[in-house]
Amino acid sequence: MEELLKILNEVKPGVDYENETDLIGHGVLDSITMVTLVLQLSDEFDVDISPVDITPENFKTVQTIYDMIQRLEDE
Amino acid sequence: MSYTSISYLVFILLGSFIVYNIVPLKHRWKVLLTFSYLFYFINSGKYTLFILFGSLTIYVGGLLINKIDDGYNMARKALPKENKKEYKALIGWQKKCICVCVVLVNVGILVFLKYSVFFGQVFTDILSLLHINIENPMYQRMMPLGISFYTLSAVSYIVDVYRGKYRASDSFGKVALFLAFFPHIVEGPIARFDLVADQMYEGHKFDYKNMTMGLQLILWGFFKKIVIADRANMYVNQIFNNYADYTGLPVVMGMLLYTLQLYAEFSGCMDIVRGSAQMFGIGLSENFNQPFISKTVSEFWRRWHMTLGAWFKDYVFYSVSLSKSFVKLSKKTREHMNSFFATFVPMSIAMFIVWFGTGIWHGASWKYVMYGLYYWAIMIIGLLTEPLFKRLYGKMHVDRQGKVYRLLQVVRTFLFVNVGMLMFRADDLAVFGHMFVSMFKGFSLDDIADGTLLGIKLDIADFAVLAAGTLILLIVGLYKEKGHQIREEIASRNIVLRWAVYYVLLFSVIILGAYGKGYEVAGFIYAQF
Repeated sequence: MEELLKILNEVKPGVDYENETDLIGHGVLDSITMVTLVLQLSDEFDVDISPVDITPENFKTVQTIYDMIQRLEDE
Repeated sequence: MSYTSISYLVFILLGSFIVYNIVPLKHRWKVLLTFSYLFYFINSGKYTLFILFGSLTIYVGGLLINKIDDGYNMARKALPKENKKEYKALIGWQKKCICVCVVLVNVGILVFLKYSVFFGQVFTDILSLLHINIENPMYQRMMPLGISFYTLSAVSYIVDVYRGKYRASDSFGKVALFLAFFPHIVEGPIARFDLVADQMYEGHKFDYKNMTMGLQLILWGFFKKIVIADRANMYVNQIFNNYADYTGLPVVMGMLLYTLQLYAEFSGCMDIVRGSAQMFGIGLSENFNQPFISKTVSEFWRRWHMTLGAWFKDYVFYSVSLSKSFVKLSKKTREHMNSFFATFVPMSIAMFIVWFGTGIWHGASWKYVMYGLYYWAIMIIGLLTEPLFKRLYGKMHVDRQGKVYRLLQVVRTFLFVNVGMLMFRADDLAVFGHMFVSMFKGFSLDDIADGTLLGIKLDIADFAVLAAGTLILLIVGLYKEKGHQIREEIASRNIVLRWAVYYVLLFSVIILGAYGKGYEVAGFIYAQF
């Protein structure tokens, strides 16, 4: 989780990620930051995040992103 | 047959609605399919074969991908762990081949019918630079109705099946109905199979609320189209068809009224389309969400023609920027550049592809290509200058969350959008350049007082109707933005107030509508795409 928060703060600093409840809905992650984030996550966690995984549900909060990574790591 | 024609309202919409509610529930989707193809055939005749062929390709392609997936799932259990990855790569390649073939066939048909003259001209222009002069061998062909829209839906279906988002349907009728459904075939919204197919397929019982809410939305669409858009159209046509005769304020007004016209017309058409679908209990995606309160052009495109923007984001932007070659490029830029440019370089290339595609999707000419690239340029300049402005605003202590700053952002975006609209409506880039410059020549507010503006196709009463219509659009938009469900709220009021609203709208359309000869309604702009 710490690694994830570090990446998020690198991609888009100045956001209270731990308390943010809707990263896409509140405009924190637009399509450009989303791609930057996905590329860094794929690199860091060695998971294959495809466009199908880029959904508002998977990227709603830090926890949902973390859960998605865990799931992809298990696959 | 336009959505505003009596023949559509009576024979297609009312006709299908009556038959739909008579036949047993499980056969109701067949009524929608029959009327969709009837509507299509009336409009396109023998060109109906194109949409039928497109449906067949995605249906067969989808089933082949299903078969490969099923084969893999059966074999996977028996495979040793070390062979699983290899086998998965092999079936991934097979699925990719099918997906690419289906996409190429469908996009190829669109390119051949819509762009062959344009690309032929580009080819002959290049040859003429080499002093080889030949005539463009291509000629303009008839285009099947809605091909630009249903091709994107067809691509989304096969790509989603390939990506494993959902299994392909084993019902050809379901796939055919998804593409040809009569409310969305002409101008969208660009449908996604997972969002609409089940709604279309399952029979819905007659629902009084759905029927009245649908009719309410259709009426609102008619108001926007006939009272506002078609009235603005008279002024806009005069200015753009005789652009050399006008300078200053009349041209500015032409640009502003075209923006109003396109918004009222396209969003009005979407209201008619979504209202028609709602009568059958089918909810189609929203295509507009108060675009003119956007603070940036990126936000504008998330609020304007939303299903087109979402399509390009999901099937072009993500596909390109997460492709192996782009991932490699991103890694390289991260190694050799600072964090800002490491993101900026690959993103700007991916965005170029998206905006080139968005531009040329609208039409086969350089004007539309430049229209797309105009937005790309604004976004790229915005990204490049963002750090600079952040620092500048910090030093100047500008409150970026303040109302004044946000209002200025909205005004700036509105101006950018209007210049884009001027390019979109002008005959070609040379005319756009001429009109853009002419806005600044002889600009004088005296044109309002001395009657110059009022002499251009619209009189003071027309301008009053346009102003009132725009005000209503604005109030309704802002009310919706605050989270109000306007239609629900009107429907929940007492019968007197409710029907007063309906009658005002209905009689506005009848009395204030800008009709041609014999109550003829102007065609829809986006239907030609």
